[in-house]
Amino acid sequence: MSGGGSPLPPVRVEKALELMPELEALAPLRALLISIARPDERALWSSSGPYLTLGKRGVDPDELRRRLPQALHRIAEHVHVLCKTYVEALEARQRSDAAGAVAALVRGGRLEEEVGRFAQARAWYELALGVAEALQDRRPEVEALRALGYLCLRLGQHGEGARQFQRAFALAEAEFDQVGTIAACEGLGDVARVQGEWAGAQAWYGRGLRLAEASGDEGQMGRLERRLGVLARKQGDLATAGDYLRRARERFEAAGRADEMARVLDAQGQLDAQLGRQTAAAAAYREALAWAQRAPRAPGLELSIRLNLAELDLEAGRWLDAEGELRRAEQVAIAANLAGRLAQIYTLMGKLRGAQQDETGFVFFEQAIELARAVERSPAAEAQVYHAYGLFRSRLGQHEEARAYLERARELFDSLGEAVERERVDAELRAMSA
Amino acid sequence: MTPPIGMEPSPLPAVPRKGEAARVRILVVAGEGAGGGAVLQNLRQWADDGRLDVEAAPDLPRAVRLLAGQRWDVVLAALGERPDEELAWWVDALRAATGGPRLIAAAQAPSMGLALRAEKLGVLDVLALPLRRDDLMRALERLRSAVGEAAIPLPDVEHHAVGPYALVGQSPAMLDVYKLLARVAASTATVLIQGESGTGKEVVARAVHLHGPKSSGAFVAVNCAAIPENLLESELFGHEKGAFTGAVTRKVGRFEHAAGGTLFLDEIADMSMALQAKILRAVQEREIERVGGTDTIPIDVRLIAATNRDLKEAIKQGRFREDLYYRLAVVTIRLPKLAERGDDLLLLTAFFIRQFAERYGKQITAISDRALELLRGHAWVGNVRELRNVIERGVIVANDDTLRAEHLPDEIRGEESALTDRPQGGLLTLAEAEARHIARVLAHTNGQIGAAAEILGIHRNTLTRKMKEYGL
Repeated sequence: MSGGGSPLPPVRVEKALELMPELEALAPLRALLISIARPDERALWSSSGPYLTLGKRGVDPDELRRRLPQALHRIAEHVHVLCKTYVEALEARQRSDAAGAVAALVRGGRLEEEVGRFAQARAWYELALGVAEALQDRRPEVEALRALGYLCLRLGQHGEGARQFQRAFALAEAEFDQVGTIAACEGLGDVARVQGEWAGAQAWYGRGLRLAEASGDEGQMGRLERRLGVLARKQGDLATAGDYLRRARERFEAAGRADEMARVLDAQGQLDAQLGRQTAAAAAYREALAWAQRAPRAPGLELSIRLNLAELDLEAGRWLDAEGELRRAEQVAIAANLAGRLAQIYTLMGKLRGAQQDETGFVFFEQAIELARAVERSPAAEAQVYHAYGLFRSRLGQHEEARAYLERARELFDSLGEAVERERVDAELRAMSA
Repeated sequence: MTPPIGMEPSPLPAVPRKGEAARVRILVVAGEGAGGGAVLQNLRQWADDGRLDVEAAPDLPRAVRLLAGQRWDVVLAALGERPDEELAWWVDALRAATGGPRLIAAAQAPSMGLALRAEKLGVLDVLALPLRRDDLMRALERLRSAVGEAAIPLPDVEHHAVGPYALVGQSPAMLDVYKLLARVAASTATVLIQGESGTGKEVVARAVHLHGPKSSGAFVAVNCAAIPENLLESELFGHEKGAFTGAVTRKVGRFEHAAGGTLFLDEIADMSMALQAKILRAVQEREIERVGGTDTIPIDVRLIAATNRDLKEAIKQGRFREDLYYRLAVVTIRLPKLAERGDDLLLLTAFFIRQFAERYGKQITAISDRALELLRGHAWVGNVRELRNVIERGVIVANDDTLRAEHLPDEIRGEESALTDRPQGGLLTLAEAEARHIARVLAHTNGQIGAAAEILGIHRNTLTRKMKEYGL
């Protein structure tokens, strides 16, 4: 490419993806392509620079070719670990250790989940569950059910997730499996929280916490205290929220749990923000980021913290800071192959432009809808984007379009059974009609 | 230990007596590994002699906690096994710290790549472990010398308001622009504005509109590069309800919104050939059709287009229609780069300082000689837009009546260290000079190796090898 003639410009991601068939086998290639996409240097300071999204980034085919061995190496490594996991399950069976076989199969599922292969993860978990069901010892079954429960939750299948956790809870309790019972309580609380059933969530977390206190398990106590803190904040009981979060934080700091410290401080930041303590909230988020750096690689956690920090800046009218943080979050998402999370980032970016009365900000919502549909494949994420898009249009005085987007959001929340979100959208639609 | 989140910043260090070096408040963050214990021990030994107030934090999270509540001049961080990654985290952590402390990174055998990255990120210095007293004192000397910045009062700036923007500048290059602008504004001729990113194409377009016969109508701007290609057509021409998935309501396009006024098509070169044909038809026939519609709608708009690309080159490459080019370029206004505008830089700086000081409720009446020197030495790839951005950030963080070097972004402050003495008397080895130059070119091309190799005039394989060699 060097030598005679000027180099050809990179191909835009939106164009590059048009050429790629929607095949599961090509998912690693798609991920690689997205992770190496760079903003066009000429566009950075151009008037379109502030509106740059993933689709407008550029990919150099030559660079993609050069990076292919890296991607292929990662794929081979993943398959290799999966095969080893299977061999471990086989060895366990050979020595008649069925519980060991179940544990290995669940590990296989977790490995698949880590790389975003959810259908494959489900296959491993279901296989593990089948083996576990035939055992006298029910603890492996509880473990497999929990793994399936969290996968369902991740995929927005709340009803099915609740069923898995219920079964896990009943089995663990019958078997006097304290650890399994606490974990099932945590899972059931999570399902209830996602569905907006605050009282139910509080009851499950509270039950889990009492059991954890009885068994003296500091890790589980801290996790449940954090969840109770988050729940109390959502219910507006800010003093109780602060109390729970402080306890969780003291526990995790003493134990040196960097990842949990990051999560607790992230929750603390949200609480401080709700209390109007902007400086304290920013400090909590900054410290959360520092802990996240010390934790085992957790780009998703870093992303969540950065989004909260950006939202704080946005609410305070610090638009330059908000934009900077969102661009850093975008970089993390792209580099860590978390393209699905870009929908959240672009939704906030659109919200920022709306606050600046900038009509061209609609491009972020359009890109977010596309990502929620095509990459994240999550109707819940799509509904969140439509909701924010409707508010953006409303802010610009485009009421007909605003109503259409809000109605679409309501339709999606309704189909997902997310009553709290649906009620929020309904309230906004009523306010528009008034 | 409960952290002092949100506590009040501690006061600034005491002002030194004449001839006495200022005391530097330094936070040392050195864990157990990488010779961390020795770093702290050394610093404590050198504290009195070097006029240092030394405190320590065991790790990044605890340091962030201290940084949130107190003011420090310098953070000395010992990097561990992943120095590049850790450096980025430190820079991120210090971004929001009270008082903008500078970072000194210490690492075991730091690579040239690490040093160059640090320079780009505005790190005060990268020192090798075990730490040597002279190296540290030299880095701190650079910090202390900033105390001697002299304030230059902001000059008065004559400007021409253009809606929410303003035309600022008296350089010969800008005077030529003003003359041409005055000539073309009075007509309804289509205008093509060419210039690099951030040179003010939209401001000039607005000025043409405001001084033209259609000034009573709307000025509607469309950024062709920002809008996804599949949506641009409906943005421009509008659509009927149900014309495509997502067409939830009938939409009036920008051509119609601009009726009786001016339609400004920014970054026109980014339009697809198909859409170019539709624009050409609209310009020639003076009528449009909404997407999914059958009615023909007459339009009465003045068209102004702008681009940062070489349209003639695009025509040669078959990416831009020649007939459309001639329709648009009835009159062409070329805007100069900021680098070609001489002392306009000071006028623009003063204008932006006043503008943002008013917006953020500050009283800034001067700029320091050092800050101005840094601004003058910077390569303004983003021209006036980049300068405006830098000044806005500076005004936000400024805390007295003078905008100083410390208020400028790390990237620009980092350029300061490139100008100052390096170890071994300030002379670089050939390899160091080559590595620095390659790093700059890569920064310019945003890491695109092909484009960088092109600029450097070497084969990309050679460049890749050199990047590996220098740890870039």
